[in-house]
Amino acid sequence: MITRPMIAAVLVATTAVASAAAGPLQVTSSILVEARAAAADGTTRIALVKPSKVTPGDKVIFVVSYRNTGTQPLGNVVLDNPLPRQVAYRSANPGSPAPDVSVDGKTFGSLETLRVRSLDGSTRAASPNDVTSVRWRLASPLAAGSQGQFAFQAVLK
Amino acid sequence: MLDLFPQQQVGGTLRSDVVLKVRDTARRACADVAAPVAIVMAASVFAVAVRPSIVRAETLAGTPILNTANLRYDLEGASRSIASNTVTLIVAERLDTRLVREGQGAVVVAPSPAAPTIVPFVLTNADNGTESFVLETRLSSPAITLQALAIDADGDGRYDPAVDTALVDATVPALAPGRSITVFAILAGTAERPAADATLTVTARALTGSGAPGTAYAGLGDGGGDAVVGPTGASASVVVPLTSAIAGPVLVKSQSVRATDGSQTAVRDSVITYTLEARFTDAVSGARIADPIPAGTAFVPGSLTLDGAPLSDAADDDAGRFDAAGGTAQGPGIAVALGQVAAASVHVVQFKAKIQ
Repeated sequence: MITRPMIAAVLVATTAVASAAAGPLQVTSSILVEARAAAADGTTRIALVKPSKVTPGDKVIFVVSYRNTGTQPLGNVVLDNPLPRQVAYRSANPGSPAPDVSVDGKTFGSLETLRVRSLDGSTRAASPNDVTSVRWRLASPLAAGSQGQFAFQAVLK
Repeated sequence: MLDLFPQQQVGGTLRSDVVLKVRDTARRACADVAAPVAIVMAASVFAVAVRPSIVRAETLAGTPILNTANLRYDLEGASRSIASNTVTLIVAERLDTRLVREGQGAVVVAPSPAAPTIVPFVLTNADNGTESFVLETRLSSPAITLQALAIDADGDGRYDPAVDTALVDATVPALAPGRSITVFAILAGTAERPAADATLTVTARALTGSGAPGTAYAGLGDGGGDAVVGPTGASASVVVPLTSAIAGPVLVKSQSVRATDGSQTAVRDSVITYTLEARFTDAVSGARIADPIPAGTAFVPGSLTLDGAPLSDAADDDAGRFDAAGGTAQGPGIAVALGQVAAASVHVVQFKAKIQ
């Protein structure tokens, strides 16, 4: 489970950067890692924290937060995140809507619907390792003052 | 006069070890002269001290990972787009070390400091960054000493003092991620104090740090990131069993039995072929092999050979004879005079005896 205070902290820390962009929509990207801690009730609490020692094979969480700072609703909001080539896509982070993914940066869909073309012309089913970009669409307009976030998990190659 | 008498029969392991010892002796002869030169060269040779290794797909320590998200939206009928901030993650250096020995079994350490015994190891930088390693050696017996640690500078897998430089402060210079290098431990025994069941323990540790997996060294990774100890603990140890070589020449006796029915059963009238293999590390003069005919057997006339060439049984001009009257203290026996023997040479005497 993701603790709310942590995400708030991320937003505060990056406000200065985001506000530099003109327009009513703020968007903030962050890379976090999971920190597990035993809670008093015996459960394990997973917090997302700033990474300090990520090495190959480690899981990292990409979080993209957005907020309509304007006074009017924003329609057809689409968020694109091309993956850095040093990471391999794994899945949507728990609690985040699943993104459409792409293996070529052009065609987006669920992973099961995508195929990868080999050099010899044959195709095979796409795997998470083939994903080069993720995309989310907001189904309804983003009301003034409202906000949200998307997150996905990846592994450092 | 140097008389050789066979010891008890010895299995194949010691034999092959003896061969190694002889080879080391031969190689060392020209190497001593070049040793001072090697020390002068030490600093410049380190840079090329690597051998080909596997290609790694791991992201290198210090690599910045950049992420930017893009948003599109419609406002007042117009489509707009903005980019997020760019977030940067510096990949940390995972410290991992691997050390394996080349070869197996006990190593026979020659008794002479002038003819050291070389034990090779392969050290691998299993990091995702460039790393140096510190070697620690421990010998369990005072009868064996470590003369030096050296790296295989030319990558040929063999120790050559003129090229393969001694390590400074037992530190292996920086290796690129995934690269391996051969390290030689150069050992010498003392003739007076043979050691059985001795061990050499070599431990390699990443210079940046080692310890429990997950231990972090802030800011010490490549590219200014952190370093963190990986699953290997950034440390690896190898224990090598050692035995002291017997000083001087070695005589190994073996036998094969052939019965009249062609089987290998030792019954009456079976013929035993005895093989006496004399190995010399140093040149000697007046070497002589003597062996009594075992009780209950009779020497087969004309069966004595030296290095495959027949020797007559009579005490005549050739090197060998059979003395039925008791040429040895134990009764009838054979005797072969080898005379002048070259260094690093092997001579084989064979004879047959029939079971009575």
